[in-house]
Amino acid sequence: MLEIKNLETGYGKKQVLFDVSMNISEGEIVGIIGPNGAGKSTILKAVSGILTIWNGDILFKGNSIKKNSIAENIKSGLTFAPQGNRVFDELTVKDNLDLGGYLLSKNELKDRIEQAFETFPILKKRSKQIAGKLSGGEQQMLALARALIPNPKLLLLDEPSLGLAPNLLNDVFEKFVDINKTFGVSMLIVEQKVNKIIKISDKIYSIKLGKVAFEGKPKELIGYKEKLKDLFL
Amino acid sequence: MFQQYIFNTLITSSLYSIIGISFAIIYRTTRFLHFTHAVVFTSGAYFTFLFYKLFGFSIYFSITLAIIFSLLLGCLIEKSIYKPLRKKQASSMILLLASLGIYILLQNLISMIFGDDTKSIRSGVVKEGINILGARITPIQIIIIITSVIVTILLLLFLKKTKTGKAMKAVANDVELANISGISSNRVILISFAIGSALAGLAGILVAFDVDMTPTMGMNTLMMGVVAMIVGGNNIKGIVCAALLLGFAQNFGVWYISSQWQDAIAFVILIIFLLFKPEGFYGKKLRKQSV
Repeated sequence: MLEIKNLETGYGKKQVLFDVSMNISEGEIVGIIGPNGAGKSTILKAVSGILTIWNGDILFKGNSIKKNSIAENIKSGLTFAPQGNRVFDELTVKDNLDLGGYLLSKNELKDRIEQAFETFPILKKRSKQIAGKLSGGEQQMLALARALIPNPKLLLLDEPSLGLAPNLLNDVFEKFVDINKTFGVSMLIVEQKVNKIIKISDKIYSIKLGKVAFEGKPKELIGYKEKLKDLFL
Repeated sequence: MFQQYIFNTLITSSLYSIIGISFAIIYRTTRFLHFTHAVVFTSGAYFTFLFYKLFGFSIYFSITLAIIFSLLLGCLIEKSIYKPLRKKQASSMILLLASLGIYILLQNLISMIFGDDTKSIRSGVVKEGINILGARITPIQIIIIITSVIVTILLLLFLKKTKTGKAMKAVANDVELANISGISSNRVILISFAIGSALAGLAGILVAFDVDMTPTMGMNTLMMGVVAMIVGGNNIKGIVCAALLLGFAQNFGVWYISSQWQDAIAFVILIIFLLFKPEGFYGKKLRKQSV
């Protein structure tokens, strides 16, 4: 579904990613782990169209999306939920969902919001509430619901556990699996909570100093503390 | 006498409200102080003068053209100066300095073309105002009040009900998240400039019909609009409340002190708010990066 080929990019003149290649098949949940500043979020930004690609290519459903705008990527079925469950904190829950479907027609948007309310019933109750006043868990649900509104085939999630209370983490990761199974949405998740992400992923990539340091099945990491330590140092 | 002060308050507040809202519409999406807005305000008056007095077009056609030209002037400044600067990731301080530079340039250009003397677009002899509840008020002053009410209601509906209005609120709230949602922030900013500049042009025309025009008329009025925006918390309803407070304080203040201190009263109110309620009537607490 998504093929990243020899990707190189960065910010300004500073190169962050070096020859990064990845593969995500349809229906898979793929986790990206690695130390801070390794370039994990940069991969998601490049795939979503926020960052321009210096070298390499990104294929989505067989087509190059290297030069696509963010809007074109959303229309082709690729959405991005940025770091820390960001929501429009001054706007209502309903406005947030409306803006998630900014590129949809009025009727499509109505249907998608109805579906979002079925998936996240708490958001229906809070629809008129200002998003900034929701709890951390509710904001996380809203960020996820907002990203799901355009009916994506691939969802890019950047550190969805950031800022969440530890007791909510299991629920959140279970929700990802539920959405993956129910709607068949593939997911590429950047995450620092390694023990959580390897439990739900079909495949894991580890990034270190802008390069792929590990690629494999989660079972290759479970129980191997030294190996994990090596990937994070 | 008291009724007259009440009406004067309404007239002053209406004007501050229009100019404050027009400025805030742009500030909310760009997060920098676009001081060139003062010249866009002035341009509305001078474009009307040009089309009506010099070209001899009808008054309504001249006003329509003047509003369109003010709108285009604002959009041209955004497209040719601010957007390239933003692309180079210029700070809001750089944008502020650029806006001051363009302001001086364009104000001098108006002086060069039309001269520094006071120009008038009013025709016929000056008539006594209409008597309403014992107060004298001119037809243009009634139009200023009505326009302010209509503009406020229409803008509130636009922001609440339309897709573009919601996109403007999204860009104002979090520009990066708005872009991630597929909203073109540059397009939204351009629309903000178009709406804000058209309103500023309209305000300039109304002032010119009320008290004539000079090339420097913009900055003083803009400052009052900026004070209304800050005191109002960068929120439309807040700006209306702040404009009423400023208008009230300025008009009733002259009972006790000379009218030359009217502007000072506004800035005293601003300082009080900055010290004790910096988020204004309706706003959130000021953001660190905002200039």
